[in-house]
Amino acid sequence: MAEQRESHLWKWLLCTPALLVLVLAASGPLFIVLAYSFLTPGTMGGVRWEFSTEGWFRVFLQRDIFDPDEVRWNQAHLTIFWRSISLSLQTTIICAVLGFPTAWFIATRPPHRRALWLFLITIPFWTNLLIRTFAIQELIRNNGTINTLLMRTGIIDSPIQMMFTDFAVLLGMAYVFMPLMVLPLYAAMDKLDFRLVEAGYDLYASRIKVLWYVILPLVKPGFIAGSILVFIPSIGAYVTPRVLGGGRTMMLGNLIALQFGQGRNWPLGAALAVVMLVIVVTTLVLYLRWANREGGQVRV
Amino acid sequence: MKDQTARDSVEIEITGLSKVFGQGAAAFSALSDIDLTIRTGEFFTLLGPSGCGKTTLLRVIAGFEQPSTGSLRINGREVAGKGPNARPVNTVFQNYALFPHMSVADNIGFGLKMLGKPRAEVAATTADMLRLVKMEEMAERKPAQISGGQQQRVALARALAPRPRVLLLDEPLSALDLKLRKEMQGELKRLQAETGITFIFVTHDQEEALTMSDRVAVMSAGRILQLGSPHEIYHAPRERFVADFIGDTNFMELPVARLEKGGAFVTLPGGSETRAELPEGLTPVIGEKVTVVIRPEQVQMAPPDAAEMTGTVESATFFGTDTHVHLRLSDGQGFILRRQNSARTEEPAPGAVMGLKLSPGALRVLRD
Repeated sequence: MAEQRESHLWKWLLCTPALLVLVLAASGPLFIVLAYSFLTPGTMGGVRWEFSTEGWFRVFLQRDIFDPDEVRWNQAHLTIFWRSISLSLQTTIICAVLGFPTAWFIATRPPHRRALWLFLITIPFWTNLLIRTFAIQELIRNNGTINTLLMRTGIIDSPIQMMFTDFAVLLGMAYVFMPLMVLPLYAAMDKLDFRLVEAGYDLYASRIKVLWYVILPLVKPGFIAGSILVFIPSIGAYVTPRVLGGGRTMMLGNLIALQFGQGRNWPLGAALAVVMLVIVVTTLVLYLRWANREGGQVRV
Repeated sequence: MKDQTARDSVEIEITGLSKVFGQGAAAFSALSDIDLTIRTGEFFTLLGPSGCGKTTLLRVIAGFEQPSTGSLRINGREVAGKGPNARPVNTVFQNYALFPHMSVADNIGFGLKMLGKPRAEVAATTADMLRLVKMEEMAERKPAQISGGQQQRVALARALAPRPRVLLLDEPLSALDLKLRKEMQGELKRLQAETGITFIFVTHDQEEALTMSDRVAVMSAGRILQLGSPHEIYHAPRERFVADFIGDTNFMELPVARLEKGGAFVTLPGGSETRAELPEGLTPVIGEKVTVVIRPEQVQMAPPDAAEMTGTVESATFFGTDTHVHLRLSDGQGFILRRQNSARTEEPAPGAVMGLKLSPGALRVLRD
């Protein structure tokens, strides 16, 4: 018995480093954020330790400047929430649609070549995100590469406005997050038994039908993992919408940063951060329920 | 031998077909100059060691590979260049390749669904097929939830459900244990008889080929060496490879003494002359050595004075119904004899000299 108790103690001791990291690095900060959302803003940023729900109030609502008793929906915030969700969903869909053929291409190369293609997919990760985003800006700004080329060749007379639009943000995010879709999709396809594809063809399915009835259901776990990996950082994206979207196409990440910076309203920023967390968790739960609706074997 | 007049309508006609993989120096010829006619309703077997091209030939017929040259007609229609979904042919894959995300019933109904059959027809045929392979109880299970033998039945039902003209079977029994394999061999014969569909069966197991087939094509290095009924293949092999691959065989190098119509007299070790059958079109030179072949069960023990040749017993292995006796002939060549046992026969002792008598007509000259 004593021996058993001792080994039990050892188990806990061995777990301590992991537990410490979990408490200090994961749950701890989250609780601090949650606590700050119920405090009062300090004058120079930071918080005063006085309980207040003002931060949460201002997440969704606002008071009239002249008549503090008149309360309205905070239209600007709601627009930003919606834009964040919508752009993140669109990014996920774009990454899935473009990532599928990319991953398929890699998975169907001879095994010794696949490593090279995977390596090429990861090359963008080698340099700083900000630099890559500025490179995209260089491509799409009014006197950037694309507009200059189009005007030189006489296809257009005046530059197409691409910077500071939703398009620019989508382009940037799809580019940045594409590898996060391609890699899990590739992993799923790598495990795909191509004899099943042959069996599909053999049983009179056309290429499209084989794709729909055989390949897509079998690589679904890759889509699910990829979608989660793309959607979560998209919702909180900061650099891409900041550089390519400017002030006009602000997303949640920028709004939160604004409250902690120039806005000097940490409780509001903290409340917004919690809202973001809720959005992500809710979307994930809904998505996984939908993805596993047929009792599939996917567990994420 | 089966009566072949009833089955003379041609199902598959292959002429001058070859398949080359790769290009230039790395080119590998998997099939060369295949000419083959398979009759409707036949149980046809492609037999050969691994790498002989039998699976490639099956994949060419299925449409997974396109031939490099030559023509392939199924029921009179040229199908070379057409994909597998445009051929009235279904395959039972070696590892079954059942769709893991679909139930047993959905797997079986897949082909019909892809052909655009109405839902009621798909359901009815699926039910028939489940009954045919005795899997009614398992209709809603996923492939991972049934045993290997059951997966095999489902794979068969799935391939038979669209009523193909030809069913291709790629070593479908190789993953099963011996008892189940015997059972499935009978099952396959039954299904073929019940459906009347032409079966093309690929195997490296010579016993399986002999017991199940109407006709067998023995393949090696991308060519068909011999084509015939199991009886012909076993008793009248034309080439050393065929004789060696199928069953136990004795090969002897013997000089030709004289020729006769359709046969040659060869001199056995010990000096006596005996007749050996000649394959068509082969005329050996008198005095030169030829390879002759005889099956171990076509040799009998005899008293030394009545024997055609003698051998010294090296070892004997008791198998129950018969005993395999390993002998050394008087000229030093090894020889195996298979003796039918009864309760009274004694086991031959090593070192004993034994007289041997060959069954008439059993000795054959090989084309080398």
